[in-house]
Amino acid sequence: MLFTVVSILLLIALNMRLTFGRFVLKLPEPERKISAENFKKYIRWIAGWKFSFLKLKTWDRALDYLIKWARKNYPGWTAWVFYALALCYVYLALSGMFFAWFVKRGLYGFPLLLHVAAGALFAISLTIILFLKARDFLPEKVGPEAAAQEKLGKAGFWCPLLKKNLPRIYLEAVAFWVFVVAGFLLAFSTLGSMLPYFNYPAQIFFFHVHRWSALASVLSACLAIDVMIVE
Amino acid sequence: MKRQKTDRQKTRGISLKAVWPMGLALVGLAVFIFITISVSRLLEARSQAGPGQEIKLKAEQKKEWTGNQLSPLHRIPLNDEFNQKIVPAAPNALPFSARYSCEPCHSYTTISQGTHFNYKNRPAVDRRTEPWFLVDDKTGVQLPVSFQKYPGFWSPEKLGLSDWKFVTLFARNLNGGGPGEPADEDQTPDSRWNVSGKLEINCLGCHHRSPLQDHSEWVKQVMRENFRWAATAASGLGEVVGMASRLPSTWSIADGPNPDDHEWAVVPQVRYNPNLFDSKNNAVLALPRPEDDRCLACHSVAPRQARSRAEVDRDVHLLAGLKCVDCHRNDLGHEMVRGYEGEKLSHSTLQVQDFTCAGCHLGQKPEKGGKGFAGRLGAPRPAHRGIPRVHFERLACTVCHSGLMPKKEPQPVYTSRANRLGIFGKAVWTSDYPWIVEPVFVREADKKVYPERMVWPAFWAEIRDGEPVPVDSQEILAAAPEVFNLKEKVASLLNSLIPLAEEGLYPGVIISEYLFEPNVDGGLKTRLLEKSPVARKDKRNEFLLVQVKQEEVKHLIPDFNPDEPPAGIEDKILSMLQNLRTLSNGRQPVFLIGRYVYRITEGYLDKAEKAGEPAPAPEICWLEGEEFKPLLSDFQVRNLETIGSGPEILTEEQVALALKKMAEAKPERKYAYVASGFVFSLDKNGKLKAGEHRAARAITWPLAHNVRPAQQALGKNGCTDCHSPNSKVFFGKIEASSPLKTAHRDSRLGADLMKTGPLFQFLFGFTFLVRPAFKLVLAGCVLLMGIILVAVVLKLAGRLSGLENGPGKNSGEE
Repeated sequence: MLFTVVSILLLIALNMRLTFGRFVLKLPEPERKISAENFKKYIRWIAGWKFSFLKLKTWDRALDYLIKWARKNYPGWTAWVFYALALCYVYLALSGMFFAWFVKRGLYGFPLLLHVAAGALFAISLTIILFLKARDFLPEKVGPEAAAQEKLGKAGFWCPLLKKNLPRIYLEAVAFWVFVVAGFLLAFSTLGSMLPYFNYPAQIFFFHVHRWSALASVLSACLAIDVMIVE
Repeated sequence: MKRQKTDRQKTRGISLKAVWPMGLALVGLAVFIFITISVSRLLEARSQAGPGQEIKLKAEQKKEWTGNQLSPLHRIPLNDEFNQKIVPAAPNALPFSARYSCEPCHSYTTISQGTHFNYKNRPAVDRRTEPWFLVDDKTGVQLPVSFQKYPGFWSPEKLGLSDWKFVTLFARNLNGGGPGEPADEDQTPDSRWNVSGKLEINCLGCHHRSPLQDHSEWVKQVMRENFRWAATAASGLGEVVGMASRLPSTWSIADGPNPDDHEWAVVPQVRYNPNLFDSKNNAVLALPRPEDDRCLACHSVAPRQARSRAEVDRDVHLLAGLKCVDCHRNDLGHEMVRGYEGEKLSHSTLQVQDFTCAGCHLGQKPEKGGKGFAGRLGAPRPAHRGIPRVHFERLACTVCHSGLMPKKEPQPVYTSRANRLGIFGKAVWTSDYPWIVEPVFVREADKKVYPERMVWPAFWAEIRDGEPVPVDSQEILAAAPEVFNLKEKVASLLNSLIPLAEEGLYPGVIISEYLFEPNVDGGLKTRLLEKSPVARKDKRNEFLLVQVKQEEVKHLIPDFNPDEPPAGIEDKILSMLQNLRTLSNGRQPVFLIGRYVYRITEGYLDKAEKAGEPAPAPEICWLEGEEFKPLLSDFQVRNLETIGSGPEILTEEQVALALKKMAEAKPERKYAYVASGFVFSLDKNGKLKAGEHRAARAITWPLAHNVRPAQQALGKNGCTDCHSPNSKVFFGKIEASSPLKTAHRDSRLGADLMKTGPLFQFLFGFTFLVRPAFKLVLAGCVLLMGIILVAVVLKLAGRLSGLENGPGKNSGEE
């Protein structure tokens, strides 16, 4: 129950924050502020999405965009690794969250079988992606990139802790590494629960590690989509 | 002054006038909350407590136990049912009454609420337990009877079984009380309680630690309807002779013995053993907590395949030194702890959850307060390494740890109560039916899977409004006796041929590859021959009369020259024909040899010339009119061959014939036979057809013992103990077994009963073939990701600590 409430709230909060940010960017410069009026407009804007979601064309365009982005960022065969990762991840997240939220028993039956199979592919593709992309998000690359973005005055994000606008590359790095660490924990907890070395309390521990890291993974994926993929 | 006050009020910002109503409101609110909580708690307590709760609480306050660990030697006077002290040496002393002998110290009324005595009033929440079985191995009946209301269980009331009938049928494994002591208004006209006496609770049956205590004696006495004498005889305190069942129904205990009859209708009498009484006529009894043997008299289970007791492992708890009553405890109310999760006791003060598997092995669950301590009664705490949690949520502990090891098919077992185990005597008491199998794994209403025992009901039924309602098997037997007495008839015929057999050998008959011999119970025992002299699949309905002594088999019918018969042979033939005449049923038994016919004429052996062709071989026949008919009819030979050496009793032909006879006897009614998971009835053409009905479905009940050691639990060898494409647990075939030999048998897979879906389990099992590779790949991924992450963390830590400078800075410095 705690997981359901926390995960739903966090997902709603993060996505609202991200979409509100995008909505605000669409407004003329002087109107870019947090106000009741803007919030009402935002709600209307979001509600308008339902029509576009129902259109096949929207999905088609989104897919085109994703493929284009993937080809740009993952040249050659590596694009296929990205597709595998994305496809597995969509199923893993949907099946995992759906059963965690709406089915008391949790994931079971054929969806579980597929979840496990997709999990293996996800772990492999994530490892490859890590090999390919980790370098881009290492401190020595992030630092200069951040400096460059600051110089160009590229839209960043407001960090309340430091009370200043930070370059977007930082968010990208956070999203990437959270996604990787969560993926690592997901794979580790899956492996741990399958090995004959851990007793019942350990199994329970792995279960909790798995579902909370899955939440972290989904949150980081949402962030990554916003800051890395969608322009 | 007034001004000052106003100023102060202004400074405080609040006036007393305003505080007063606020205080009142607060007090009112507090009173309201207090009253609401009190009333709600009171109502909650009332709703939880059933009627009589107040009385129960008072009883609980009274402490029954002084703290003494010893079980005292009982040196007590025994009283009879008239509450008179028994003087063992007195002539015509009556049997002791538990009610009046134990009552002075232990409340008989309280004890009579116990699990073993209050069958009729078992709580509705009580988990299914093994039913009683109404068995008739002539008509092929195995009908589950129970006071518990579960689908497939027939209540005695529905079957028209009065308390009297119920007790006479099942008293062998009843401890008395309950239906054995019906109130006067519950006594039915068919009962003979005034003759037999009530079947009081047999306290000594469980508590008497004496080598003289004898369950078999109890059974013999109750079968003789010596209800009031049974406890005395079984305890060994006295010897009981006589049979109440032979006494007229007008007899009562006040009539005393019948001096004119010392042989047949002998009134039961007790001869007490004076050595078991002291000089004050007090019985000296050791009555501690029950020993295991006492429990096992009614609660043992044995696989049928086991040829000796040495092959069967006992429960691991018993081997560890525990006794049955260490876990299955009770207080004075005698409501036994059964030990399953979720059990609720009505009359006991014991904490049931302490005696479940988890209660001893895991301790109390943390959410129930504290961490709890495992290891009660020395129970080891299980690690259950590598077993996913779903197993603990969806499976009972017993699934992996109890019952027989799963094989490709569940194995047939005997249970004490169903198959009459543990009764010793000249006769063989153990019955083949009901045919119980274990283990089958069934998902119950709580969504958990339990290992269970299973039986397919078999009974003759009248179809009323589309529902099969069991019919008394005696009614069926009366309608078609020749159909059901098949084996007995053949056994009688074979016994009639004894004069022809050599000394020490007994007649038998070979049909197809089976040898049938009469047994001591008047039936037939069957042996499968390695090589049969009548091996003729093409020639049906043939038989060969033989004489047998263990492995020695010879031809029975003597072949001799009838013109010069050897000395003594004709005497043997005469004797044999005389025997057969008693079974002739209007026909004449004859012995054919060559051109001659031996028959009995006016009490003498008559040898006459046979009309027509000479007999090719000597033969015993029936003469019907002018026609010679074989000794065994085609019907007998055909059906014996069909049954063969299998455990079945009936053939489809017998069932069809019986249904036909019953339809002829009562054409207005519609009859059927339920067996093997189907309802068999006659179609318009008089042919047997099988249909489905819920009344024919198998019944199951959870099993708990024998518990196997942890090393022999399912899963000990890994997941593939259960999860594989050819798993015995999921794909073991559970095929109906019944007294009827038929091809129509209900058949299911284990996965069906567990409601997990065979396809899913097949695919899931299949994944375990690739799982080692899966784990290896996953481990590789985890390792690589881990190395990279560690490297990144180290790099970041180096940067943050200043041990490693960024490339920009380094290059700047350069």
